[in-house]
Amino acid sequence: METTHEAHRKVAIICSHGGLDEAYPSLILANAARQSGIECFVFFTFWGLDVITEKKVDRLHVNMAGNPTAPMPTMVAGLPGMEAVAAHMMKKQMAELDLPSARDMLKILDESGAQLYACELAMKMFKRTRDDLVPEVKDIITAGDFYDLADGAQIIFT
Amino acid sequence: MIATANNQDLAARLDAMSAQIEWLVEQQRKRDELFGEMTPILREVMATATERLDAVEKRGWFAFARELSTVAERVLDHYTAEDVRALGGAIVTILDTVRALTRPEVLSIVGEASEALTQPERAEPIGLMGMMRASKQPDVQKGMAVLLSLLRNVGRASRALSDGDRGDAKARLAAVIGPRRKPRPQVAERALPSHAPAAAMAAGPACCTPASKPAEVATVVDGVSFTADGHLADPTQWTRPLAERIAAGQGVTLDEARWKLIECARGEFEKTNVAANIRRLTQLSGLSTRDIYELFPKAPGRTVARIAGTPKPAGCI
Repeated sequence: METTHEAHRKVAIICSHGGLDEAYPSLILANAARQSGIECFVFFTFWGLDVITEKKVDRLHVNMAGNPTAPMPTMVAGLPGMEAVAAHMMKKQMAELDLPSARDMLKILDESGAQLYACELAMKMFKRTRDDLVPEVKDIITAGDFYDLADGAQIIFT
Repeated sequence: MIATANNQDLAARLDAMSAQIEWLVEQQRKRDELFGEMTPILREVMATATERLDAVEKRGWFAFARELSTVAERVLDHYTAEDVRALGGAIVTILDTVRALTRPEVLSIVGEASEALTQPERAEPIGLMGMMRASKQPDVQKGMAVLLSLLRNVGRASRALSDGDRGDAKARLAAVIGPRRKPRPQVAERALPSHAPAAAMAAGPACCTPASKPAEVATVVDGVSFTADGHLADPTQWTRPLAERIAAGQGVTLDEARWKLIECARGEFEKTNVAANIRRLTQLSGLSTRDIYELFPKAPGRTVARIAGTPKPAGCI
């Protein structure tokens, strides 16, 4: 009983930030799209590359400094180690909700048919190669390739 | 006959009157005697009294009383009887406060402290750093502690006060200016969102958030009611033949692997009254996400839920 409109839906999500709190919205939106039967691909660029970088994906941090909604003053949030503490607390809360880790989310996305792409320019800037990336990444593409892929898609920038 | 009766009546009255006049004359005589005796005494008393009053006047009592009456007038101008009554109620507290404030040790503290005010030339201007340095001195630390506890008590008392008259003060204000805003609804009255009953919200992690919407029937097929998004309106109506019919409608043929997944979802729903989403299905069936998407390529969570006769699964994962 899928509606014809749903059958043709497609979203392109751009993930440009590498914080734990910044990566999850992209990953969850992508997963929800696949669950709803919507074709989906995610384009990781700039700091977002960390989310698909093998050595970084398990160590995504939360930056509380300068965040006006953070539950602590910026002076405290800027102390050394505070990112790690905040990330640890957020991961604990996510685990309580049975949310998969970022790495598991990438795996689920890949298995559910979402396509993950890395930005070529950002890869050059950060001096990373295909081997630095997690295996779920389908390809390294340019902004032009992105537009070709996004043809007919709704684009979400996070 | 009548004339005689009148005369007798008149005579009786005259008798009575003469007795009264006699009494009056006697009284008058006594009064005269009294005045005669009293006048010298009174003169003496007046002389003494004048002397005394003069002395009092010289000592300034009258000037004091005059001033006092002026004060009283001022007080009367500014205060109503009601205020004074209220003062009467507070007088014990006032006296207590005055007694506490006038204890010798308190007065000596005030005296010491005011010395700083009488000799301001001895105090040198300081900045932020000076303040921080000063805060290391034990005297300053003690003073700060005292002032802080004073502030704390003032705050506590004023909070108690404002809590105390909030009711009638607000009511009075509202009577004068009209209610500023609508009263806030009580928590208990606030209706829970209809699609997430409280009991169901409390249960379970995000992967099995329930979706027990009050089912609204949108279509009826062969006597079976469906919601607008294609789920059974009444999950208890589910049977295996019905599941096969729904699956056919979804373009899915139910083989053994697919049946296993449907049974997982159905069993979970019957046990917990929660529609399983994809993550929960992977945990229940042991299949991978990829397997599930291969069995039901299009929105597997929803498709499985439709075939298993459960509501639409909730949650983002």
